Order: sequence, then structure tokens, then C-alpha cells
Amino acid sequence: MNFDLRGFSELTRKASEMMSDTAEVPAVLRSRLGEQHELTRAADEMVASIETFVRELRAFDATAEPVVTDTYQDP
Amino acid sequence: MYIPEADFEYLIRTLSEARSRATELAVSIGSRLGTEHRLTQLASAAASNIENTLREVRSAAAEKPANSAAELAGLHGALQAGTQPVAPTPEVHVPSPPVTTLAAGTGLDPEHWLSAFVDELQAQARTSSGITFESAERLLQQRKDEFLRDFLTARRMYRAYPRLFPEIADETRQAIAP
Repeated sequence: MNFDLRGFSELTRKASEMMSDTAEVPAVLRSRLGEQHELTRAADEMVASIETFVRELRAFDATAEPVVTDTYQDP
Repeated sequence: MYIPEADFEYLIRTLSEARSRATELAVSIGSRLGTEHRLTQLASAAASNIENTLREVRSAAAEKPANSAAELAGLHGALQAGTQPVAPTPEVHVPSPPVTTLAAGTGLDPEHWLSAFVDELQAQARTSSGITFESAERLLQQRKDEFLRDFLTARRMYRAYPRLFPEIADETRQAIAP
């Protein structure tokens, strides 16, 4: 199956920003509501799913990138 | 347990932005890799989890009692300063007929999402006490979700029955041709 891999670096960058932006949400809720509150658990689950998505997207992006090797050339 | 107003604002703003971004990512990845690809499903799952958390935070914010002395003082101060307080919704007076739609006024296609969005917003202003940022945001999200569903359905149809869309197939062939 052929995939359109253009722009995946940009998507990976946006996804990483989203992960960074939401990283503090569980900590805020935990400090206000406690570890066992359902809202804290929902936020933990949310962050875990975002992290899984970003990790796989990065791995996919890395394998999709063309391999660039430095070649030595005689002067 | 107490969550200050500032924390609610931070949480709702952060989660709203993340939800929009996750939805866009799911659409972008789905359009490249297909809806059945694991990455598309992970993006959709992340968007769904963000949506659930946002809904619960909003629900908690709505249940929050606004009767503490500090909050009343804050509201009083806002009124004195002539600024808009947080909780009350300003009354929006929509002009009575003749009612012109956005589509008619701007030449937009009546089926364009913006026309439907503005019409819904006006209808809400007429039937309820007014328009809040949150209700407008909710309506806009509904439009985006509807667009996403239609987009995915259209793409599935195109993939299943490409002969029904000869114009798109021609464009694709021209784009691929060297």
C-alpha cells in the first residue's frame, strides 16, 4: 500500500507541541482533587494516550524519513 | 476539594486547543495513511480522550458554586470597572425581520459550514438568554465534528466507488503524471 508521507515532520512537531501543552493537566488536577479523583484519572489516561500517539508518530516519521548518509569525497 | 477559577480557565483553554489540534492531526494522518491505519486510530483515540477530559472539566466548572465572598467581590469589581464578569451572559439583541442569512449576504454556498454555524448561533441567541464563548465554541466544535464525519464518509465512498467521482480521479491522474 502506498502512503502519502509528505509533511509528516510537521505533523510530528504539532503532535509534540500538543503533548507538551497538555503535560501539566494531570498535575494541576492531582494537586487540587487528589490522586483518586475520576477527573485526575481521566487526565492521566488522556496524557497516556497522547504520549502513545506521539511516540508511534515519531517512530513512523523516523522510518519514513529518507536516510541521508555523509559520504567522504576526496578533495 | 477546590479548583480556583484561574485553574478552570487554564484547563478549559488548554484542552480546547489540544482537542482542535488532535482532531486536525487525526484528519491529516487519516487522509495520508487511511482510517484503518494504527496511527490514525491512535490520533482519534487521543482526540476522544481529550474530549472526555474537557467535558468532565466543564461539568466540574459548571457545578462549581459561585457564592464565595471572594468571587462575589470579584464580580462586583468587574461590574464597577465596567468590564464583563465571568458568569453572566450578555444579552444579545438580534434584529427582528427581515432576517438575512450569512449565505445570502456574503454569497457563500448555503451549505457552507460557516453559514450553518452563524445561523445556529443566531437561533441560540433568539431562544436562550444570550451567547457565551463556551456555547459558541461548542457549536463550532459540533460543526468541525460534522465536517470530519462527512469528510471520512466521502473518502471511504471515493475509495470504495472511485468510478462515481470521475472529476477527482482525473485530477489525481494529472497530479501523478510527470
